[in-house]
Formats: sequence, structure tokens, C-alpha cells
Amino acid sequence: MMVSSRPDFDILTWDGTVSPGDFRVVALDFAEKWKRFNTTTIPQWSWVPCSKRPWIVAHQENQDASSQIGKEEPNWSGQDDAIDNATLVQSCGHETHCYDFHIVYSSSYRVPVLYFRAYCSDGQPLDLDDIEKDLPANAAKVLTESKWTFITQEEHPYLSRPWYTLHPCGTSEWMKLLLVTDASRAKGRAAFGKYLVSWLSVVGQEFLLDYSSDSFPYSHLTIEDFGEMVGRGQI
Amino acid sequence: MQLFYSLHPFQSAVDEGFWHRLSSLKLNKFGIDESPIPITGFYAPCSHSQVSNHLTLLAESLPPEPSEQSLVTMSSRGNRNKCSIPGILYNTNTLEGFHALDKQSLLKAEAEKVWEDIHSGKAEEDSAVLSRFLLISFADLKKWSFHYWFAFPALVLDPPATLVDLRPASQWLSLEEAESLSAACNEWRSSSATTDVPFFLVSLLLQIHMLLLSNLKDWESCQNDGHKFLFGFYDPCHLPNNPGWPLRNLLALICSRWKLEKVYFFCYRENRGFADLSLSLIGEALISVSQGFLEYINNICLGWKDHQHMPYAVGWEFNRGKKVPRCISLAKSMDPTRLAISAADLNLKTYEMACFTIFEPKHLMSAAKCLLLGAGTLGCQVARMLMAWGVRKITLVDSGKVAMSNPLRQSLYTLDNCLNGGDFKATASVKSLQRIFPAVEAEGVVMAIPMPGQPMPTQQEDSVLEDCRRLQDLIEIVMMFFLVMRHGAGPISIGNDVKADGVNNLSVEMGNFSLMDGDRVQRLGCYFCNDVVAPIDSTANRTLDQQCTVTRPGLAPIASALAVELLVGILHHPHGIHAKAEFANSTDSGRAEQPLGILPHQVRGSLSQFSQMTLVGHSSNSCTACSCTVVSEYRERGMGFVLQAINHPTYLEDLTGLTELMKSTNSFQLDWDNEIDDDDDCVEI
Repeated sequence: MMVSSRPDFDILTWDGTVSPGDFRVVALDFAEKWKRFNTTTIPQWSWVPCSKRPWIVAHQENQDASSQIGKEEPNWSGQDDAIDNATLVQSCGHETHCYDFHIVYSSSYRVPVLYFRAYCSDGQPLDLDDIEKDLPANAAKVLTESKWTFITQEEHPYLSRPWYTLHPCGTSEWMKLLLVTDASRAKGRAAFGKYLVSWLSVVGQEFLLDYSSDSFPYSHLTIEDFGEMVGRGQI
Repeated sequence: MQLFYSLHPFQSAVDEGFWHRLSSLKLNKFGIDESPIPITGFYAPCSHSQVSNHLTLLAESLPPEPSEQSLVTMSSRGNRNKCSIPGILYNTNTLEGFHALDKQSLLKAEAEKVWEDIHSGKAEEDSAVLSRFLLISFADLKKWSFHYWFAFPALVLDPPATLVDLRPASQWLSLEEAESLSAACNEWRSSSATTDVPFFLVSLLLQIHMLLLSNLKDWESCQNDGHKFLFGFYDPCHLPNNPGWPLRNLLALICSRWKLEKVYFFCYRENRGFADLSLSLIGEALISVSQGFLEYINNICLGWKDHQHMPYAVGWEFNRGKKVPRCISLAKSMDPTRLAISAADLNLKTYEMACFTIFEPKHLMSAAKCLLLGAGTLGCQVARMLMAWGVRKITLVDSGKVAMSNPLRQSLYTLDNCLNGGDFKATASVKSLQRIFPAVEAEGVVMAIPMPGQPMPTQQEDSVLEDCRRLQDLIEIVMMFFLVMRHGAGPISIGNDVKADGVNNLSVEMGNFSLMDGDRVQRLGCYFCNDVVAPIDSTANRTLDQQCTVTRPGLAPIASALAVELLVGILHHPHGIHAKAEFANSTDSGRAEQPLGILPHQVRGSLSQFSQMTLVGHSSNSCTACSCTVVSEYRERGMGFVLQAINHPTYLEDLTGLTELMKSTNSFQLDWDNEIDDDDDCVEI
């Protein structure tokens, strides 16, 4: 891999960011590895080249929500339709919430940024309050109270519509923490090669993306752990 | 035994981008034209064992702008995840129009198109037309809500076909055959020429147990003995006991074109991008064609259009089990005002979270009501700063009109406000604030603040009193107010003692600014405590360079910003308005942890020195604004007192004993001159 062969990379002096070129490399590698990743439960990440600047990785996930959403139903002055026995009619007891996640490179922060949005099966967008209800209790709490993660609404850089995003201002700090502590286990460069995977294993857990497996080495660490590590003086 | 299986209807999914684009087209291109619009839907075979795939509409489903034509030919071509399906959109201009659409005929019209494509042979060339769809909608561009309803026309044969023996493909085929089919499907899906072709033929070469895929149009040439045929299609449905919707029109095609009575069909489904033969289904359909129907088909082939026997069509989408249209609201992401509000809220929240541990400034700031007396240089800046901090309720009082020189320094006005004699500042500033942030609750009051020592003719007394009362009311209801006029007037500052939680007094002159918040628990000084003289008529008898509106432009923004920050500090301090005054660089460590820092009483600065200092001023018993004498007189006599103060230039000074004080100081033979009104020095006015 291009990155790990860079002789001048020193993890101890690294500031936690990635250059655009490096991002492209780690992202493509990530998408490639994903195809071979053996799981049926997590939907797929794929690289979407964009004509302007090709840095999007996108995927979609469905989340079953048990809440029955009461919506005002418009009145149809019923015209009789043909009777048809062959149509399977399902009156759903539960509502499906769909989540789209995009990983986009931020040139100002020089880190990957997670953009996401949620909507019902009929297209009705969900707002943050609804999203928080979907998250596991702990994740919701972390999201709203943590100093390291806050959600803002920004215009998606390519789709030009408001998406929610996990603000990137703390990313380089905790990425550095993450990979530096791993430097003792693996060589510094190899740790960098796992940049996106490491990033995702921390960020992803906020959204029920269960990455607890050997391929995702940091899924046991939460963002709060970093706060503690800082507090304990572990850099 | 014959079993009967029902088919799983197509499910629609409309991406927000589709509605955005439709709204924009409606506003910019179509206007009130209600002609049908050709659109494209996209779908792909089911890729998940628990969730069906949808027919999706995206922004690119709508026709492109003429300028984008060349780009579109690239993107509207399908790929493996997006088979293009033609459709038609009827968008009405009113909700009544939407409900009044004759849905039966619309569905029939689309079904006829399918029927015609079958008979002309087009369906074999471009099989996607078998799944053509219909969408009716009403886009309410005032409320940003969208009513819509899909129909997926399916021809119902007479008598209807029966489906028997439906099971997973892996159980129907031998192991060898299954492998061959998987490989053939994966190849079909990987080739760009066929990946978006949703209907195909599967030839099962029995002797060699090999399966090949080919286009429907190759039917004739595939006729060979020793072959079995399966009719395949991309099945969006995931259910193990139900085939997907596209099968219906496929059967109609097979029956009327090739007159087969027994058909084997293949519902192709995938998992993670590869053929999944345990998810995919193979089944058998029995089509018994009635005599009348056969004749009908023959007639058509002879070119006679016989609509009597045309199979009828079904296909309106069910919404949660009912045949009703859907409605969604996109106001939050499309209504510019809502977007501005949520952006502002999130922005503030981001800042809060970075600074505070337990903090709810949103409530504090958005509940705060501010009154600004003066909508000039200082007033405009203060108003903007307040909005940036999340304050939504702002009232501005000013009697003046926007003059030609104003827009340069008074940040809420532009040249337009100066024309035709000039707009009233109170109204122009409010409009400007609303343009910046539509959700602001701003009110403008055109009113002159009467100044003490500006005697007025008797006939104006009533209206002046009216104004004072009005002012009193305004002060009553606010949490804080800013005195940002040319020169603060006495009667107003009395109000600060009586009611408001916080008063910020601001003044700038020449190279200096001074601000303070009034009335803190130690009876800290108000603005006027340090005045040697009571406030007088500030406009008369002053040379140009002494009028306090002539200052370095940088001062007003600096002073206003500090004033607002000071105010915010008070609001968030646990003791609020009663907080102890603090100094910069203080060794008092108790306050060091407060998120917003120290809370000074007064800040004075000088631009010529680029310096700033924090001070405490103590209250003066002779203050014409806040001393006990004045306050009690006001409380007792109310408006009578106010009138007297206005009419009599020295009344206040006499009352508080300031006149006496001045007389006694003047009797000393000391040289005061060096210290008064020295323009270069950092001296407050």
C-alpha cells in the first residue's frame, strides 16, 4: 500500500490528519476490502466517483423502528378500482427507517467526515430527535453530551442539501490518540494504513453499525475513552 | 393441486432530491402547465433477504435542463444498481385538482401503452417498458408538502394465470445447473450491455446441464429441441412465497406473443451483488387462454384495435394496507426560513458544547427580550450581535430617519433606505433584521425619547407623556435594554432601577468607548453616576468635533460587541445582575473556571492606544439617574416628575444636590482644566 511504504512517516509526530491523496488511497483500499469482508448484517460501503472531486463513500442501511407513526391520511373520494386477487396486500405494523451514510473528505480539516440522513419508507425525512430515538440508549447519550462528538447540519458538499454531520473538529486529535496507542502493537506505518477502518470503528458505533470483530480493532473504544485517556495523561 | 400465489407489488421510494428538482422545475420552467412529464424510475433486483427493493425516483428521474442535456445522456444510462424504467408524471396545480384526477382512466391509458408495446414487439427490444409506471402528484410549494401516488399498471389476464409450484431456485435445479445459472447471471450482471436489462430468457440445455441467458428478443432464434426455457426477471421482492410485480406483465407478453400455456419463470434475486439461488425463486405459471381472448389477440395482429377485450389493469400502490395517496412534508429541509432556524440553533449548540459542560444558552438567549433605545451606529451593531447569540426578541426605538451618511456606519441600512426622504430607522432596522434571520421577532417603535432639559411647548406635553408611558411599558416587559442613543436620558435610566434585569449603557466618543452594565448588588454606579453634570441637551451648542456621533468607525463595532458579550456574561452568571464586579488579570481564582470568563462592571477602551481596561464605578448619591432621591420622586410622582425634569434644565441637578456639589467644588482654587475633555486621553465622557 502506498501509504505504509512512505519511509518518512513517523507516528509520534503525526498530527492526526490525512492528505487528499492518502485519503483516496485508504478509501479505495477500504472499499476493496469491504467487498471481501464476510458479513451479511452490515450493508456495503462503496466508492462513488464524483465528477467534481471524487471523494465519496456511500452506503445505506435500513433500521426497523417499532414506533407506529400516526400521520394524517388524506381523504380519497374513492373511485372503485378493479378487484384483483393476485395482489399481496401488507398492512405494515412497523415503520422502516432508512439511513444513508456518506464519508466525505474535508479539505479544511483534512480528515474524513461522516454525513448522514434518515427518512421513512415514504420519503418523509426524520429529524435529530427521531434519529436519537433509534439509537441505542448509550450512543444517544454520548452523542448529545460528549465534547468530542457533536452533530451539526451542513449542506452536503456534493448533493447540496442539508445533511446531518458529525463535526470533524475533534477528529484529528482522537485519531492521533488512537493510532499512537496502537503504535506499540503494530508498526507506525501499518497503523496508518488502517486509518479509515480505525476511524470507522469508533465513529460507526454511534450509529448502531456494529463493527465488533477482529477486522475492526478499535470497536471496543468509545469516544468517551479518549476523554479519559487525555485525562489520565496518556497524551 | 393447484395453488395460488399472490404477487408482491412494487414499492416506491422517492428521494428528497426528486421533490427538490420538481419544485424547481415547476417554479422555473413549467409554471402552471399541467401537461404530463416523462420521468424515469430506477430499480434493481432484491439484494437483501429481509428487505425488498424499491422503484426509486431521484433528482435525475426528471427531464434535464436544456443546458444539461449532454451530461444527462451519460447518467441516465443504467448501471447494475439502476435499471431505468419509463414512467409518466401528472402533477397538478391544486390539491383539488389532484383529488379530481380520473385515476381509472390514467391507469388504463398506461396499461394500454404496455399492451401496445407488447404487440408491436417493442417490449422484447426494450423490456423495461413492461414495468412502466404512473405517478400523480401535487407539490404545495408554499407549505413544502408533497401529495403523491404511484401506480404500477399490471395487466390482468382473462381468465387470470395461476401460479403453481414456487420454490427456491437452488431446490429446483441440480447442483451443476445451479452453478451454471449463477455464473451465467453474474456474467449478465457484470456486462454493461445487459446489466440493466430486467427481463431475459434462460435456456436450459438439458444434455449438458448448462444454462445461458439471452434477451427476450432472441426468443425465435433460441427455439431448439432439447431446451427448456425459463423466463427470468429482476425481482425486487424478497419474500420466499411471493414473486415480484414484474412477473405479471411478463406473463401477459408471453401469453399474447408466444401463446404458451405453461411457463416456467425465474425470480432473480441477489445477495451482496452476486446471484443468490436460495433467495431467487423458480415457479410455474399456467395460462389458460379463452377463445374470446385468442380472437382478440388475432384481431390485434391484424391491426384492429379492439378495446373491449383488452385486459383490465390494476396497480395503484397501497399505503399501509390502504389504497390512498401519500403525503410528506419537506418543510424542514426546503423551507428557507426553517433551514435558517435549524442552522442557527445547531450552530449555537455546537459552540455551547465546545465551551460549556452544563449549559442551556439556547433557552436563556431565545427567551430573552431586548429593548434597544436607538437604532443608529451602536444600535445596529448591538442588534446583530444579539441575533448571533440567539436572541430572537428585539425591539428598537428610534425617531429618526435613515440619512445618506448612515449606511456606511449603521450596518442594518443600505442606500435604498435613504431614498425618498429616508425610511424610519425603527422600521428599516426591523426589516433588515428579518432579512438576515426570518424567525427574529423584531419590533420597531418610532418614538422620540424626551431628554431632560429640552423644554417643550405645552401642546406637545400630552404626546410626550404618552411616549413616556409607552416607553415605560416597553421597559416593563423586557429583560434588558441598551441605551445606545446619542446621549442617554435621565428618565430612562431610572427605569433600570425599577424594573430591568440588566441595562447596558454604551457610549463612544472620538477615540474612546465606554460601556457598563448598571445596577449591581454593590450599588455599582450607573452610567450617570460619574457624570459631573446631568445629561443635557446634547445637540445644541456643540461644535462639529464634539458631537458624539463623530468617532472612528472601528469603535462602534468594538463597543457593541463587548456590550453584548457583557450582557451574555451577566445572563449566564449564577448571580445574574447581582454578580460581583471583576477585573481582568485578577488574582481572584474563584472565577477562573466560569466558561465565559470574568464579568467586569465597566469596560473602557481607547483605539488610539489599542487598549482596554476594566473598572468598577461606585454609585453616587448625587446621581441624577439612580440616586435614592430621584428614584423615590419618580415612584411617588411618576409622570409629573418626568415632565418637570424635561422642562426644567437644572431640575434634576437641584434635586439631587448636584448643583450644590458643583458650587462647593468651584469654590476651590485648584486647576481642573488639564483633566477635562482631553481628546487624546483615555477619559470617559
